[in-house]
Amino acid sequence: MLSLQHISKFYQVGGTRNFVINDISLEVEAGEFISIMGPSGSGKSTLLNIIGMLDEPSSGYHYFVGETVHQLKDKQRSALYKKYIGFVFQAYHLIDELTVYENIETPLIYQDFKSTERKAMVADMLDRFQIVGKKDLFPAQLSGGQQQLVGIARALIAGPKLLLADEPTGNLNSKQGEEIMQLFKKLNKEDGVTIIQVTHSEKNAEYGSRIINLLDGRIESSKQL
Amino acid sequence: MFRNYFKIAMRGFGRQKLFTFINVVGLSIGISAAVVIYLIVHFDFTFDKFHKDGDRIYRIVTNYTYSGNAGFNSGVCGPMGGAVKNQVTGIEVVAPFFTLGQPDVFIPGNTAVPVRFKNQENIILADGNYFKIFEYKWLAGSAQHALDAPNQVVITSDQAKKYFPTLSYDQMIGKIVTYDTLKTTVTGIVQTIKENTDFNFHDFISYSTNQTNKTIADQLQLTKWGATNSESQLFVKLSPKTKTAHIEKQINGIFNKNYKERAGVSHSYHLQPLSDMHFNENYYNFFDDRIASKTTLYGLLTIASFLLLLGCINFVNLTTAQATQRAKEIGIRKTMGSSRKQLILQFLSETFFITLAAVIISIALTPLILKLFADFIAPGINANLLGQPNLILFLVILTVMVSLLSGFYPAILLSGYKPIMVLKNQSVPNSSKSHNAYLRKSLTITQFIIAQFFIMATILVSKQIYYVMHKDMGFKKDAILIISAPWKNLTIKKNRLLIDYIRSIPQVSLAGLGGPPPSEDGNNSTESTYMDGKKEVKIELDEKYGDENYINVYHIKLLAGRNLRASDSTSGFLINETYARLINPQYPLEAVGKQIEKFNGDKTMQVIGVVGDFNQMSLHESITPLAILKGNQTYNYARIHIALKPEIAGGNEWKTAIASMGTYWKQIYPDDDFDYRFFDDSIAKFYASEQHTATLLAWATGLSIFISCLGLLGLAIYTTNQRTKEIGVRKVLGASVAQIVTLLSTEVVSLILIAFLVITPIAWWAMNKWMQSFADRTTISWWIFVLSGAGMIITAVFVSSFQTVKAAIANPVKSLRSE
Ligand SMILES: Nc1ncnc2c1ncn2[C@@H]1O[C@H](COP(=O)(O)OP(=O)(O)OP(=O)(O)O)[C@@H](O)[C@H]1O
Ligand SMILES: [Mg+2]
Repeated sequence: MLSLQHISKFYQVGGTRNFVINDISLEVEAGEFISIMGPSGSGKSTLLNIIGMLDEPSSGYHYFVGETVHQLKDKQRSALYKKYIGFVFQAYHLIDELTVYENIETPLIYQDFKSTERKAMVADMLDRFQIVGKKDLFPAQLSGGQQQLVGIARALIAGPKLLLADEPTGNLNSKQGEEIMQLFKKLNKEDGVTIIQVTHSEKNAEYGSRIINLLDGRIESSKQL
Repeated sequence: MFRNYFKIAMRGFGRQKLFTFINVVGLSIGISAAVVIYLIVHFDFTFDKFHKDGDRIYRIVTNYTYSGNAGFNSGVCGPMGGAVKNQVTGIEVVAPFFTLGQPDVFIPGNTAVPVRFKNQENIILADGNYFKIFEYKWLAGSAQHALDAPNQVVITSDQAKKYFPTLSYDQMIGKIVTYDTLKTTVTGIVQTIKENTDFNFHDFISYSTNQTNKTIADQLQLTKWGATNSESQLFVKLSPKTKTAHIEKQINGIFNKNYKERAGVSHSYHLQPLSDMHFNENYYNFFDDRIASKTTLYGLLTIASFLLLLGCINFVNLTTAQATQRAKEIGIRKTMGSSRKQLILQFLSETFFITLAAVIISIALTPLILKLFADFIAPGINANLLGQPNLILFLVILTVMVSLLSGFYPAILLSGYKPIMVLKNQSVPNSSKSHNAYLRKSLTITQFIIAQFFIMATILVSKQIYYVMHKDMGFKKDAILIISAPWKNLTIKKNRLLIDYIRSIPQVSLAGLGGPPPSEDGNNSTESTYMDGKKEVKIELDEKYGDENYINVYHIKLLAGRNLRASDSTSGFLINETYARLINPQYPLEAVGKQIEKFNGDKTMQVIGVVGDFNQMSLHESITPLAILKGNQTYNYARIHIALKPEIAGGNEWKTAIASMGTYWKQIYPDDDFDYRFFDDSIAKFYASEQHTATLLAWATGLSIFISCLGLLGLAIYTTNQRTKEIGVRKVLGASVAQIVTLLSTEVVSLILIAFLVITPIAWWAMNKWMQSFADRTTISWWIFVLSGAGMIITAVFVSSFQTVKAAIANPVKSLRSE
C-alpha cells in the first residue's frame, strides 16, 4: 500500500546539512500494524509525518496506494490524504472550541458528507467508543484518556485505510495506554485498518506485527513478530 | 458548513469578548459614518437625475466681467428666449420662464373675503415648452394647451390641495386663482414631483400673460438686451448629438449683433448642464434653493472612508496578533482534511459575522445620528430601509467590502500555517521582527496618521473661526438690531414713523435709516472716476446707503472731514480709507473735499469725509474701496439700524423693547410679519459653513481617536500578555514599575512619532490650502502641530497604561511559575 524509496530529509544548519532522515526505504503492506521505536530525536515523528504527507522529504520517492506522491500537487496530495489517512497525536489536538460531538464530526464536514449521514456516523462512533454521555462536553472537561479516545474516534470517523499515531499513549497512564492498544489491535484485525504507530514503550510496540527501530535517521533494525 | 462556522465563530467571540467588542464598536462607528454620509451624498447626487433626456437639458446662463471682476448670473436678458427660439439651430425645445417674487395668493371662497396665502414662493411664468422639457404627470388638463392663452395657470397636486381642499382635480379646472392682482383661471393640475429636485415650482402662470398685463411685461423686459435678471431663466433641450460649443457660439453671436458692450464690461453665454445646477455655487437656482458643495461632499466621503479604514485596521491588527492562539486549530483542521480554501472561507465568514453585527448596530443608530446632525442634513434625508432599495444595496456592498478588507489578510495569513509546525509544538513565527508584526506596526502608524491629521485640522479650523469671529472688523457688531421693512409695502414715510417710535423706546440709544449694514454677503458696486490733474483714475467701489446716524450706530470711525448731515444733498459722501488712498496714496486724509466724476455713470460727487476701513463682507474677502452716501430711492432706506443700550445681566430689557417695536410695526405694516435680526448673528452666519466644517472635524477627530485607542488597548493587552514572562524576569532582576511601564510604552510613542513626522508636512500643506479661501487669516502656528502630537502621545500612553501598569505591578513570581 505504501512504499518509500531512498527518502532523506535534512535541515540546513549553518553551512552543513543536518540529516534527520537518512536514505530510508520502507515497504508497508495493507493490513500491517507497524510500531516505530527509537531514541528521542532519531526522526520517528519526521518519518511518520512524511508518510502522512504532512511533511515533505528533501529527496527520494514516495508511493501510496498506487499514486506517485512526490510528483503530486498539494491539492491532489491533500485529497489523497483526506480519503485514506487518519492521524492520532500524542497531545490529542482536539479543537478546544468544539464539543466532543463536533470534533468527531469535523472530518466529515470537510469530506462533504450530508448532515443526516454525519449524524448517523457520529452516533455510531460515539456508541462504539462508549462516549455517548460525553458528546456535549468540551475537550477541557475530559480526562487525558477520554480525550485520546475522542482523538482516535475522530481519526477513524471517515473510515481511513491507514491510521498514523504519534505516541498515542505518551500522555496516558499504563492502564489507559493498554486500552488504546487493545482498540488498535481490534481495528487492525477486525476492520483491516493498516496502522503505523510511534511509541517509546516496548510493551505497546509488541501489539504490532512489525517493529522498526530508528537511529540517527536510519533504520537500524526491523523485526517481524 | 456555514452553520458550523457560525457556531464556532460565536463561541470564539464569547471567549474573546473584549476583542470582539473592540472590533464591533470600531466597525460600527465606521459603518454608521459611511451609512449617514452615503445618505447625504446619495441625496445630493440624485437631484434631478430622473428627467427624461436629462443629459440634453441645459440652462443658458450669463457670465460677465466688469472691470476685470468675474460675475455670474443664472438668468438671461429678456429678448434672449425669443431670439434663441427663432434663430438657433440644434435645439429641440426652448423654454423661457420667469420666477415671480413672492406674490400673495387669493382663492375666492364661499365667504366674502377670499382665502389668502401670503408671500408664496415657487410661482413662475412659463409656457407649454416647460412641460415639454420637464415631463410631469397630468392629473387634469393637458400639456399641449394648458398654458396657451394669457391668464391661465397650472398647479401641482400638493399645492392644489392647499388651495382647493374639497375639490377633485377635475373640479379645480376653471377655478379662479389671483396672484396679488393678477387673476388667472386653472387649466391644468400636474403631479407634484416626488423625486429629489430643485424644480419645486407649484404654480405655472402662462408666459403669454405679459401680452395683457403691463406689470408682468415690465418685469420681463422682453426688448432690453442690456438688462440681465436672474429671475428670467432659459432652459433648452438640445437635439441629439448637438455640441454645446456649437449652440454657445450661436447665442453669443446673436447677443453681439444686438448689443454693443460698454467699455470694461463683457458678457458671454454658456450652457449649464442640468446635472451641474445642484452644485454650482456661482449661480443661484430659483428661490434661494440650497446649492450643495461637491467639496463638502467629497470631504465627507473622505471622513467616512477614514473611519471605516480605522475600524478595519483594528480588526486586522487584533486578529493577526491573536494568530498564535488560532494556529493550533488551523493545524488540526488541516490534518482533518480541510483545504486552505475552506479555512479562508471560515475566517472570512467570521469577519462577515462581526461586520454584520456592526451593520445592524449602524442601521439602528443611523436615525439617531441623522437627528443629531439635523442642522447639516437636508430634511429630505431619512434612513428608512423599505423606501430605499439603493440603501439596502449599499449596505450589502458595504458589508461585503468591509468583510473582505478586514478579513482578507488575516484569512490568508492564518490559513497559510503549515500544520506540521503546530503539531510539532513549534511556536508560529510571531516575534516582533516578523513580517506580520511589521504590518501591524504600519497599520497602527496609519491609524495615528489619520487621527493626528484630524486633530491638527480641527485645531486650525477652530483657531481660524475664533480669529474671524473676534477680529475687529472696523465696526461695532453687538447690541445692534436691524429691522427690514417689507419691500412690497415699504415707503420712506412709514419707515420714518417707525423709527420715530423706536427712538422713543428707552432701551434704544441710537437709530438710523439706511440700506444694508456695513458688512453683508453680497455687495452693490459701481464705478467712479477721479481726475488726478490730467490723469483719469477709474475706481470701482462698493456703495452703502445710510443717513447721518449710520456710521454712529456702527461706531465706524471718522478719520477726516465730517459726517453726513440731515440737511446734506445726495451729492456729498463719505469714503473709506482704501478709496482715499487711491485718490491720494500718501496723504489719504486729504481726499476730503475732492470731486469725483462719473459716479454711477454720470453724477459728480464730493468727498465730505473719510472713514476708517472696515470689512464690507466676510473675512473671505478683502477690503475694497467704499462709499457711504445718502440715497434717493425708497430701498436705500429699507432698513432701520438700531443701537441698543447694554442689557443688565439676566435682564430682558431687549426682549421688551423688541416686543414693543413689533407691536408698533403691526400698526404700520399690518400685512407683514415683523422682520428683525441681531447684527452679530448675521456676522456669525458668514462662517456657517466653516462652523459646520469645524463640528464635523471635531466629530471625526473624536471618533478616529476613539477607534484608534480601542485598537491600541487591544494590542496593549495582547503584547503585555505575550511579554508577561519577560516582565517577570526583569522585575526579579530589579526593574521598577515605572521602568517597566516606560519599556512597554516606548513602542507606542515611537509609532506616534513616526506618524507625526509623516503627517505634519501633509497637514501643513492641506491647511495652507484651506486658508487660501480667507483674505484675512490666522497663522498656522507651530504649536498646532506640537499640541496634536503631544495630545496623541498622552492619550495613547494613558489608554495603554490601563494594561501596562497592570502588567508592571503584577507579582513576578506568579507569572514565572505559570510559564
Ligand atoms: N525545523 C527543524 N530545524 C532543524 N532541525 C529540526 C527541525 N525539526 C526537527 N529537527 C530535528 O530533527 C530531528 C528529529 O526530530 P523528530 O521530531 O522526528 O524526533 P523524534 O524521533 O520524534 O523524537 P521524540 O522521540 O523526542 O519525539 C531532531 O534532532 C530535531 O532536532
Ligand atoms: Mg516525536
